[in-house]
Amino acid sequence: MSALLSSPGALAEMGRASLRWLAGWWRIVHFGAVILVLALSPSSYDRGQRPALARQIYLGTAPILLWFTVLSSLISLVVIRIVVVTALSYGLSKYALEMVVRVLVLELIPLTSAIFVALRCAIPNAAEVYDLRAQGGFAALTRAGVDPLRREVLPRVVAGMFSVLLLVAVACVVTLLLAYLSVHGFTTAGFAGYTRTVGRVFGPGVALIFVLKTFFLALAVGLIPIATVLFEGARTQLRLSAELQGLVRLFTVVLLIEAASLIGNYY
Amino acid sequence: MTMAEDPAASPPAGSSLEFKAALLLVLLALLLGASVVYLMYARGAFEETQRLVLIADDSEGVLVGMDMTFSGFPIGRVGRIELADDGSVRILIDVPRKDVHRLRTSSVFTLTRGLVGGTYLRAYSGIPADPPLPADAERRVLVGDATAEIPQLVGETRELVRNLAALTAPDSALATSLGNLQRVTERLQGPRGALGVLFGNEADARKLIAALDRGNALLARADSFAAKVDTAVFGANGMAPEARAAVLQLNAALADARSALKQVGTLLEQAQAVARNAEVATADLGVLRAEVEASLRKVGGMIDEIDRRWPFAREPELRLP
Repeated sequence: MSALLSSPGALAEMGRASLRWLAGWWRIVHFGAVILVLALSPSSYDRGQRPALARQIYLGTAPILLWFTVLSSLISLVVIRIVVVTALSYGLSKYALEMVVRVLVLELIPLTSAIFVALRCAIPNAAEVYDLRAQGGFAALTRAGVDPLRREVLPRVVAGMFSVLLLVAVACVVTLLLAYLSVHGFTTAGFAGYTRTVGRVFGPGVALIFVLKTFFLALAVGLIPIATVLFEGARTQLRLSAELQGLVRLFTVVLLIEAASLIGNYY
Repeated sequence: MTMAEDPAASPPAGSSLEFKAALLLVLLALLLGASVVYLMYARGAFEETQRLVLIADDSEGVLVGMDMTFSGFPIGRVGRIELADDGSVRILIDVPRKDVHRLRTSSVFTLTRGLVGGTYLRAYSGIPADPPLPADAERRVLVGDATAEIPQLVGETRELVRNLAALTAPDSALATSLGNLQRVTERLQGPRGALGVLFGNEADARKLIAALDRGNALLARADSFAAKVDTAVFGANGMAPEARAAVLQLNAALADARSALKQVGTLLEQAQAVARNAEVATADLGVLRAEVEASLRKVGGMIDEIDRRWPFAREPELRLP
């Protein structure tokens, strides 16, 4: 009897949770649109804004750039070696380079860059924003006539995006160099063939998907953790912390973007 | 207090920070720009190309961007694939100007699909002295498809397997033959062995054995008979020594005959002489004969005269009835 009575209550609770979930996503999308508008406004880059922006960009990227480059180079070397040796043992060495470029440059590096930046830069930035808001920093800025979104949030979102883009660019270039050196050694003799292989992989469709994927990964990494703490952090009744919630949402979006890129590339 | 306002946590502020951030921005811009230029170069955007159209029946496996090779080196790239009005496929290939001289009017183009791996477009120029291939030339591509033979092969294999199954079925001719062979083998191992197999029954086999025994006995008798004949013919009193003596006598008789024949020869010579004399005599006899004949004719004439004058002379005329 109690189960029958509780059943409508459970359904209602489920409905409310779904609505909350949808509303949370809607707030993130809306916040993303606002941030994009701010990012595309020239006034966001005026003299008063530049120091904060430069600081966040530098702090978000410089400390992790070297480490990430070293780590990604090591992983790339291992993967390149495995792929090349395996392909050679099966007599498919002509496909090894193409596979290396596809696996590493197109798929793994953007994904690892996004996750790396999310863990080292975006989540700490979100925590800073949460603390700032909790300590009344937003209200103080508003009282001082400064838009806290423009002053504190936008630089961190842009820094996260920039960090992902730079890490992807550096790691891709380094990986392409390592792949060439692993296969051909220190000689320029294989440059023409290697360039042709890279050109064959980066067809117009694949290149477009790669660019879109990297951009949306960067956007998600920059936006979602901060948006989550801004709109969900005030709720004390939630079991999960705002940072963890942001991470879960971010991984969901990253997964969706990766799946979409795979479908676009291979279907 | 925010981190932006915390001097301890802040890096060197001001223009130095902005400069470093600007360096990072420039680095990103440089990397992106270099990547775009490199990819455009890799895609052949800066190459001057000449168009070549290959016509095929099927574009399966052909992709935009795939290479056309010449002696293993890529000398062209598929730019577009079109379906023509007549249902054929037009594969538009961009050949860099620096590689065009490898293609001649007599060049052959092949499209091969392997069982493993991708599809390959290859060009072959057999006669390097031929004129170079003109721009927008259309050539028929020769298709070598390893997988095209598979359906036929599978069909034939299926037929073969069906025949094998029919051959090895329990009620097949082969199984029956093998059964018969087994029965024959069993009978070969039986008391009469191969004879029993040959005649099919015991009685006939026995008859053959009896016939063989009788043949053996006959041979033994023939052997003793031959020994007796040998004694009779070649023994001390046999026919052979007597025959030899007879031959010797015959030789002596022949010698006598030879001398007798010589005498006959002498006689014949003499007879020839007699004959020659007789010939001379015969010439004289001719004259004599002529005279006798003349006398006879005269006598005849006289008789005829007497007949005419004689009253009882016969009527010589013949009267027709």
